[in-house]
Amino acid sequence: MIKKLIPFVLVFAILGCEGPTENIDTINDQGKAVMGLDYRDFDRAASTMVQSLIGSGALKKEGGKYVVATGRIVNDTMQRIDTDQLMAKVEKELMDSGLVVMTSSVTGGTSSRDSMLYDVRDIRDSKQGEEFKQDTLQAKGQLIAPELSISGKILQRNVRYENNRQQVEYYFQLQLTNLTNGLRSWQNETIIGKRGSDKLVPW
Amino acid sequence: MRFALYTMLFVITLATLASLGLCGCNAPPERGVMLQEGVASDSLASNIVTKPVIHAFSGLIGEGIEIDRAITRVNPDGFMTLEVAGHNRSFDNRVFEYKVEWLDKDGSVIDTTTSKWLQTSAAGKSPFVIKAVAPRTAAVDFRMNTRMVPK
Repeated sequence: MIKKLIPFVLVFAILGCEGPTENIDTINDQGKAVMGLDYRDFDRAASTMVQSLIGSGALKKEGGKYVVATGRIVNDTMQRIDTDQLMAKVEKELMDSGLVVMTSSVTGGTSSRDSMLYDVRDIRDSKQGEEFKQDTLQAKGQLIAPELSISGKILQRNVRYENNRQQVEYYFQLQLTNLTNGLRSWQNETIIGKRGSDKLVPW
Repeated sequence: MRFALYTMLFVITLATLASLGLCGCNAPPERGVMLQEGVASDSLASNIVTKPVIHAFSGLIGEGIEIDRAITRVNPDGFMTLEVAGHNRSFDNRVFEYKVEWLDKDGSVIDTTTSKWLQTSAAGKSPFVIKAVAPRTAAVDFRMNTRMVPK
């Protein structure tokens, strides 16, 4: 009888040993580092990049603000990263700085582009457009083209450190390009390095 | 008994001299070049015989990071820049995190995603610098906090 009960006891013991779920204190997180990229790494990279960009003076435009588009951010890591996770923070800070205006009409990715911009224009140019008050439809030639573009890459390099440890290096690279003349006016790279057991998978 | 007492007094004297900087360890030469242990000639703090005592005493009295100055400027674009200079009094490298928060003219904290815990380090017995740029022109003051790196 006791032998038959042992598996049930083990199952209940294992279930009972699971730690409670808790919310992460994202403001003063004291949690351990992980081999992959977590929100703290994106925060650090974004913070460093924004400070570098604002401090460089490349966004200063006499008598106005630059219109900036987010270009292609390549994810060259083993992780399934939504690069907008990084760029959303950068875009917000750049807009709040008062130096630039971001555009949703032209982007390298898809999520920061607002498809409604073109949906309403498709409606205007279609038979459906006749259903709308014509003076409420968007006129042609209203969109403003971007003047600058921020693009970049997130790279990952795995290095064997010691017999049972590995080193994973993440490189965040961003550059600012003038879309009129193609010149690059700012560039920066932030490295986040991790060392840990080679049994841990960095994705 | 007396021998043990005199030995202890000698050791404490050595350690005190080292902590007072009389050992001449890492004193910056004229051109600001730092010569660390193993590079410069031996001193009391780096000598193979006295080094363990000096280092232990340093750890015992809890030498660590000290801030020398915090300089703020406004760059040509109107953004405040901060430069915090300090030095590491410990013999060991110190890795720590810092967070800079920016204050407007009313003393309110400006909400920004750049106010995050960032990691930096200071080599043993060496100076270090932390630089930051405010993300808003409304920033006129700052406050900075530090913490040990979570383990």
